Amino acid sequence: MATEIALPPDLWDAAANPEGIVANWFFTEGAGVRKGATVAEIMVEKTSFDIAAPADGHLHIVVGKDGVVKPGAVIGTVDGG
Amino acid sequence: MPTKPQLVWMYEMMEKARYYEDTMAAAYMEGKTPKFDIGAGPLPGEMHLAAGQEPCAAGVCVHLKKEDTVTATHRPHHVAIAKGVDLKKMTAEIYGKESGLAGGRGGHMHLLDPEVNFSCSGIIAQGTAPAVGAGLAAKLNGSDAVAVSYLGEGAANQGGFHEAMNLAALWTLPVIFVIEDNAWGISVPKSKSTAVPDNSVRAAGYGIPGFHVADNNTLELFKVAGEAIARARRGEGPTLIEVETYRYYGHFQGDPELYRPKDEVAKLKAKDPIRRLREALIADGTVTQAEADEALAKVKTEVDEAFAFAKAATYPAPEEALERVFA
Amino acid sequence: MSSNRIMTVSRAISEAIAQEMRTDPKVFVMGEDIGKYGGIFGTTTGLLAEFGEERVRDTPISETGFIGAGVGAAMSGMRPIVELMFVDFFGVCMDSIYNLAAKNIYFSGGNYKVPMVIMTATGGGYSDAGQHSQTLHATFAHLPGLKVVAPSNAYDAKGMMISAIRDDSPVVFMFHKGLQGLAWMASPEAAATELPEEAYTIPFGKANIVRAGKDVTIVTLSMMVHRSLEAAAALEKEGIDAEVIDLRTLVPLDRKTVIRSVAKTGRLVVVDEDYKSFGLTAEILASVVEDDPAHLKAAPQRLAVPDVPIPYSRPMERFVLPNAETIAAAVRATLGKVREAA
Repeated sequence: MATEIALPPDLWDAAANPEGIVANWFFTEGAGVRKGATVAEIMVEKTSFDIAAPADGHLHIVVGKDGVVKPGAVIGTVDGG
Repeated sequence: MPTKPQLVWMYEMMEKARYYEDTMAAAYMEGKTPKFDIGAGPLPGEMHLAAGQEPCAAGVCVHLKKEDTVTATHRPHHVAIAKGVDLKKMTAEIYGKESGLAGGRGGHMHLLDPEVNFSCSGIIAQGTAPAVGAGLAAKLNGSDAVAVSYLGEGAANQGGFHEAMNLAALWTLPVIFVIEDNAWGISVPKSKSTAVPDNSVRAAGYGIPGFHVADNNTLELFKVAGEAIARARRGEGPTLIEVETYRYYGHFQGDPELYRPKDEVAKLKAKDPIRRLREALIADGTVTQAEADEALAKVKTEVDEAFAFAKAATYPAPEEALERVFA
Repeated sequence: MSSNRIMTVSRAISEAIAQEMRTDPKVFVMGEDIGKYGGIFGTTTGLLAEFGEERVRDTPISETGFIGAGVGAAMSGMRPIVELMFVDFFGVCMDSIYNLAAKNIYFSGGNYKVPMVIMTATGGGYSDAGQHSQTLHATFAHLPGLKVVAPSNAYDAKGMMISAIRDDSPVVFMFHKGLQGLAWMASPEAAATELPEEAYTIPFGKANIVRAGKDVTIVTLSMMVHRSLEAAAALEKEGIDAEVIDLRTLVPLDRKTVIRSVAKTGRLVVVDEDYKSFGLTAEILASVVEDDPAHLKAAPQRLAVPDVPIPYSRPMERFVLPNAETIAAAVRATLGKVREAA
């Protein structure tokens, strides 16, 4: 059962800055992650936001490093199975 | 009392500086979206803009002559403009072009122009002692030239500033220290960095006059600075002036400013000092609305031409990096 | 359960500091914008929230004051970590560093300890001009009494920061801005590494052979490790097998590893982002020759900034900083050159 890693829809003011960038992934594809661990960093202009794993499991990356994202985007999943 | 030419000069200078900074802010972001990479685009590196701080330059530099020396900080554009640095050469320097003031060697934080006795640099409070030196040179030469040292309120806590104040006072030198208090030392507010709320009281520690100008008031600064400069020219020694001013942009472009209250800039812009001066000048008949508009259009054209010049200019040859180290 | 955790250098540094602060109440941090801002280069991310204002102190712009205070606090039993925002700012406060921190152990015959870490940002390549782009390795390494360390990657950064904090001598911890992994400044892919969750140390004075090779020895540290590895990858295609040594620490300096390598390969290229004359590159050359000039089959090459201030304009800055192409060219030169018979 896969849980989505979705950016909160109100993470940043999309009117001011429609897009952000996935600045860093802190785990590799398939890595085991714990719920709450910081898995990625999103950058919007120069502000950084840490994104945590929503569940324990194995990480699957949907939007890779330097990918462009909007608030609410799904950047990866955590596969608990 | 300011004369009409002085008032018009100050108004034009401030509009020019404001438009310059706003133009620079947009130009800086070229090549840096969607991913902000500080090293990318035609204006790589750091950029510190002074929008909101124009009165600090206008109210002081209106009294200065070419022979007077000004040292400024890492946030120098408004002061450079007020001192009369060639706008095309300055902009070309900021763009790193061969036709810049230093052929691209210095960039935005290190603008030096002996033609108008202006220099600035990037280390905090670094310009205070050199201003003392310029004042010393004037005294030794028997001229009535003065030196003005610009620094931030954060710099008032740097040791070198205190040494400079003591020296200027001790030797009765024609130096005016102008503290631009924009309330923030990057992310640290004045209340968290400075033991006293008003730096002008520190002048007493050196036996010199100290003045505080509240709320970015151009005309108040005109008066205080005019008296200080006249005093210095008469050989009566240094003065410290602190001006409460506004920093509209971040410490540097790209600063997320997470430390700053969200509505602070909007509140400052609501009492914009350039608009305040413009409205006062129109209200009392010094200028008409049409004259003010014309002045604004004129300075915008000058700025646009400077940016166009800089963008079209050529880069230096790479080996030029090795030249001009020594005289 | 977490594995394959890849951390940036800045987060590795913050984690190292946090872990030591959790276990040792004597450790505290001071510097400009290290509180809410988390350090201009991300070294103190999360620390204010976890440890509060008493132990994570924003200072005024008063380097002599707070770095001198760091020395005093260290001599009074604390373990301060003090941030000098840019290494280029050392000019305003060097006395506290080289005359006090560096010498008080000696002046007291070892009776005083000075367990202080001065962490500071180095490096150029992003157009920050002459007063914000320097690396100054030699400036600090030259003066006796300071340990001087400069990690090239996150794994080393965490271990070396923990070692630095636990060291009873003053340590100047030089981190390159372009290696931090900050979202707003490009960094080499290999700077961020897998990072163990537990605390661990890396001893000082132990260089790391990051690429074994037999044809030439490239000695370097910090950002230039990455440029050297790029060069080595290109050279491999030409059939040249380069050994790349990451010094990790300037003081203490692992001369043994360098000499052993040059004795094996016979050829030496030293790469340093600092100024050329009177610096690290000269020190490495001298150390090899002092041991035995016969180690060298050809004249060594050194790459560094050619004794000019770092220029602002991009083409000029690129010209003065070593890069993968110039490093590879230096390697070819030392392989093509033959020492003239006397």
